[in-house]
Amino acid sequence: MEPSRGFGAPIAGLALLAAGVVALPQLTRDSYYLDVATTILMNLALTMSLRLQVSTGQLNMAHISFMGIGAYASALLVTRVGISFWAALPIAAVVAALLAFPIGGLALRVTGPYYFLITFAFSEVVRLFFNNFFVDLFGGPSGLVGIPKPSALPWFGRALTFTTKLELYTLMAALLLVTAAVLVRLEHSRFGLVASAIRQGDLLAETLGVNVFRYKLTAYVVGSLVAGVAGAHSHQVLHSSDFGLEPMVLLVVFTVIGGTGSVWGPVAGTVLMTIAGELLRELHHYESLVFGVVLILTMLWAPDGLVALPGKLARRRRAGVSLAP
Amino acid sequence: MPLELRSVGRRFGGLQAVADLSMTVAPSTIHGLIGPNGAGKSTVFNLITGVIPLTSGAVFFKGERISGLRPAEICRLGIARTFQATTLFREYTVLQNVLVAAHLLSAPGLGSALLWSSRYRERERRARERGLALLQTLHLAGLADQVAGTLPHRDQKALALAMVLATGAELVILDEPMAGLAAQEKAETTSVLQRLREQGLTVLLVEHDMKAVMGVCDTVTVLDHGLRIAEGTPREIQANPAVIEAYLGVEEPGA
Repeated sequence: MEPSRGFGAPIAGLALLAAGVVALPQLTRDSYYLDVATTILMNLALTMSLRLQVSTGQLNMAHISFMGIGAYASALLVTRVGISFWAALPIAAVVAALLAFPIGGLALRVTGPYYFLITFAFSEVVRLFFNNFFVDLFGGPSGLVGIPKPSALPWFGRALTFTTKLELYTLMAALLLVTAAVLVRLEHSRFGLVASAIRQGDLLAETLGVNVFRYKLTAYVVGSLVAGVAGAHSHQVLHSSDFGLEPMVLLVVFTVIGGTGSVWGPVAGTVLMTIAGELLRELHHYESLVFGVVLILTMLWAPDGLVALPGKLARRRRAGVSLAP
Repeated sequence: MPLELRSVGRRFGGLQAVADLSMTVAPSTIHGLIGPNGAGKSTVFNLITGVIPLTSGAVFFKGERISGLRPAEICRLGIARTFQATTLFREYTVLQNVLVAAHLLSAPGLGSALLWSSRYRERERRARERGLALLQTLHLAGLADQVAGTLPHRDQKALALAMVLATGAELVILDEPMAGLAAQEKAETTSVLQRLREQGLTVLLVEHDMKAVMGVCDTVTVLDHGLRIAEGTPREIQANPAVIEAYLGVEEPGA
């Protein structure tokens, strides 16, 4: 058993995730639920990849920007260059990853609050860039509209179309399951072991011969690649504010509430909080207020997140038994 | 000469923490660095391992200049250290701590980790076996699955030593390996250090327990206020009037 590597065996967790993803359309074909579910899957890709970066001890406030880069790149490749969505998707993800090299390379020279501020500043630069520059290309404040849905794919003699909500859900589900498999595999590899060691003691890791900077940069680039995929996957409308501070804060809230100590933390946090957000829809912008309160309560009583709770309660129960006469 | 310091100095603002320090550590010896509190011993360790940059002089390891390199690069060349306040990856198990430390010897690439190839699994299995074998030699094998942060002090000390050894270092730098240990545990640590010397490793240590230092070291260097005031065999050091005045006679009578 590896206590600090999160709960559950990696295969069991992935199987559970896959079962949930497959089961949902069997339960409902309602377009509202499919929309919510697709959003959850996209947010899962974002929070799971954000957590990969957090596992090295760094909170990257520009994560959402790489989603934006992937989204705009994919949309422009399809509408302006005229290539197929299926070619644009990997290219857009690679563009996000390539940009992550210089940006991560610069930001990761500092740590702690300085890193937080540099990445936050960068995310604002990206948002304002999409909002104010090259308006005829990025659409300016009114955004980019009319992005076509993915084209049909040939599949054993018939065409796989991506027009209905269910088909778009299936596409995001497939992308997420591959992403999750990669991230879970990474977490349970030596890479994940060393990455979390850096969070626990970066100087110790460095003096033991770990190239701390390279590990952090690798996590940054891989995380940005995933964010690029999440951005590129399929949007019909893009708006620069989708990649600003507010959605970024939500990602952080999801990840932290779920717990950053385990690869499953962001999964629990994202699913629960997105559903909660939908239930609180009536409250409109007071919704963030509720999220804020939940975040404060989590920090106070479960600072390691929701996924760490069962283990903690079990330990407390065991301790209680051993104290009894 | 594995390790050579040439006129090494370090200034913190107006304070000259280490001044013009030259010393050599011979291969396969146990070399002690002693001196009263604030003499600059830990600073010397930080300078050698690149944790803080030096302000003058140079450090050479096996003929290669290492001052100016980053700590990870210095470790790669074969120098590993422990810290005075024992530092471990507290959330990890004992074996995981050793596996992180051993990553230089068996670091798999990102690609092979993702592909989960049979070669990758074989390498992981061998790394675990080597880690367990190392824990065995330090009497930690039974604790392999314990979380490091929950270990008693002496086991944390032993684990810190195991991690240093797991890097495959030729020169092992130990900052107070005996601090807080009981007499029996000190004796065990002494015999471990002697065994390392027999295996051809070089040990450089800071230690306040004079009995332990004089018993185990081949050579002792004495620092006071950042200056080297004496160097020699334990017998010579014990008889050195400058040392007795600066340190032994004043700080620890009867030691």
